[in-house]
Parts: sequence; C-alpha cells; structure tokens
Amino acid sequence: MPSKRQLAVAAWYALAGAVYIAIGVWFTDFLLSFFVALGYLLVVAWLVPAGVRRLF
Amino acid sequence: MPLLLGSYAPDMMSKWFVYGVHIGGWDLKATDPVQFHRGWPGVGFTHSLLYGVIWALIFWRVFGSKTWAISFMIGQWAHAITDTGDTVGTMLFFPWTIHIHFGAWAYAGQTGRLTDAAAYFSGPGAVWDLVWIVLGIFSWRVLTRSYFEQHVFTADAFWGRANRYIPMTALLVAYRAAFFYGTCRWIAWSLWAHVVHSYPYDISWGGPHWVHAAHSPPLTWPQLVGVGAIIATGVAIFFASRLEFSRKRWAALRSRT
Repeated sequence: MPSKRQLAVAAWYALAGAVYIAIGVWFTDFLLSFFVALGYLLVVAWLVPAGVRRLF
Repeated sequence: MPLLLGSYAPDMMSKWFVYGVHIGGWDLKATDPVQFHRGWPGVGFTHSLLYGVIWALIFWRVFGSKTWAISFMIGQWAHAITDTGDTVGTMLFFPWTIHIHFGAWAYAGQTGRLTDAAAYFSGPGAVWDLVWIVLGIFSWRVLTRSYFEQHVFTADAFWGRANRYIPMTALLVAYRAAFFYGTCRWIAWSLWAHVVHSYPYDISWGGPHWVHAAHSPPLTWPQLVGVGAIIATGVAIFFASRLEFSRKRWAALRSRT
C-alpha cells in the first residue's frame, strides 16, 4: 500500500489533473500537446510547491 | 525518455498537416490527409518497423547509446503496431506498401482534429487507451520517487546530464508527465465529447460507425502469405539469435570451470 506521503503527492497530482482537465474541456487546444502538459505540470507540481516552501 | 520520444515520433512531424493549421493568412493542410499520414507517397513510412530500426541504428552507431536505440525502437514500434488497430492501418513492412490493419476502430483523421477526437474517444480506441491507464494505475510504484531514482535515473545517462542543470524533483515531474498527460487527456476528451457535446458511444468493432471512416482495402491471400512469411522469418531470427547467445554463454561458462 502507498504511504501517507505518497498518497499526499498523488492527491496533489489529482488536483493538478482536475484543473488541467477543466481547462482542456473549455479550451481543447490545451489538450493537444504533451509539451503543454509537461510545462503545466512543471509549474504546478514543482515551481509552485517550491515557491510556497521558500515563502513559508 | 527515448521510449516516449519513439512513441511520439511517427506523428510528431505529420499530424499538424493532417488536421491542417492556420498561420497568418495561410491554411496549410494535406490535400489527401489519409494518404499523407499513412501512405506512400506520403510520410506513412514513419509508421513502419524499418523507421524505428533506422533511428535505432542512428542512436546506436552515431550517438553511441544502445539504451536510447532499443528504447526508441520499442516506443516507435509500439505506435506503429498500435495504429494497425484502426481501419486504415500502417505500412508496417515498408518498403512493402500494403497496409496492415485490423479495423478495430475508425480512422477519422481526415475529418479534422475535433471530429477525429470525438470519434476516437467514442469507440474501441478509447477502451484500448483505458486498458493502459488502468494498467498504469495498478503499476503505481513505477511512478514513485524511489523507483525513478533507483531504476530510471540510473539506466539512462540523459537524466544524469539533465540533473547538472535541473533539480531531481523537476526531473521526477517530467518523468511522471507522460502518464499524467495520457490519463488527463483521456478524461478531458471523453468529457468534451460526451458531456459538453453528445457524440454517441459505439464500441462495436470498427466503430464508431457514425463517423465517416477511411478504410484500406483488405489484404489478398498472396499478401497474407507474404505477411505470414515475414513474421515467421522474424520469429525464426529471434529464436536463432537467442539460441546462439545461449550457446556462447554456455561455452564461456564451461571454459571458466
């Protein structure tokens, strides 16, 4: 079974996925490229958490 | 990384021209999208086994990486073989230009980006993608940090080189991005096609039948025999090389004792 930390990471990715899907359904061009998804995920799952950690 | 690039390689340079793009005052689109995408003349050779072999040789002999060569080839072959599942299929054995196709789901690239997406995510193609998503979820351990650090990072020098400039956390995010993208686009296109719009599901063989699908002609008996002969030769070469490899290992072991 996944650990609590792994579940927390999965939950963050699921939240990021929900936002990505919401944008994609509204604006389908967002869904067309892997590289757009990569850029989005780098911002949401790396830059934002790193920025938040640095602030607090 | 090479596996991912290989799996995208067949469509990377061609799909935009199949669907068409509008740049400034210019509309760029193939006059015959199906022929261009999967045929010859056209760029259909990008969906052949030979294309993967050529790139593998380039990665191996020019750039000196066997890992990239084999991984890229597996990814490209996976794409080329998967696309035989639709109604047009691929010229798998190019330069032989017959299309190997199982006709499980409708090929609708010629109808444009949105109708093609709606059709794909309404038919057996969507079920096929879902199988891989479920398999990925069951294999969740391959997405963990420890798996990435112990198995993926160490297997490919690319990650070590990238790590000189990019932190490990960012590389881990990039590694997970392919599964994230595949899963999210499946859900998003399904919602777009069936909730926002009302395209009907039709997961019957060759479906969805509401779309105007393109088809390749069925293979003739001589062509089927030819395909069978190529596959049999490939299997025979594979087993012969394994046998030779086992013999050499056995001889090496005996010489040591």
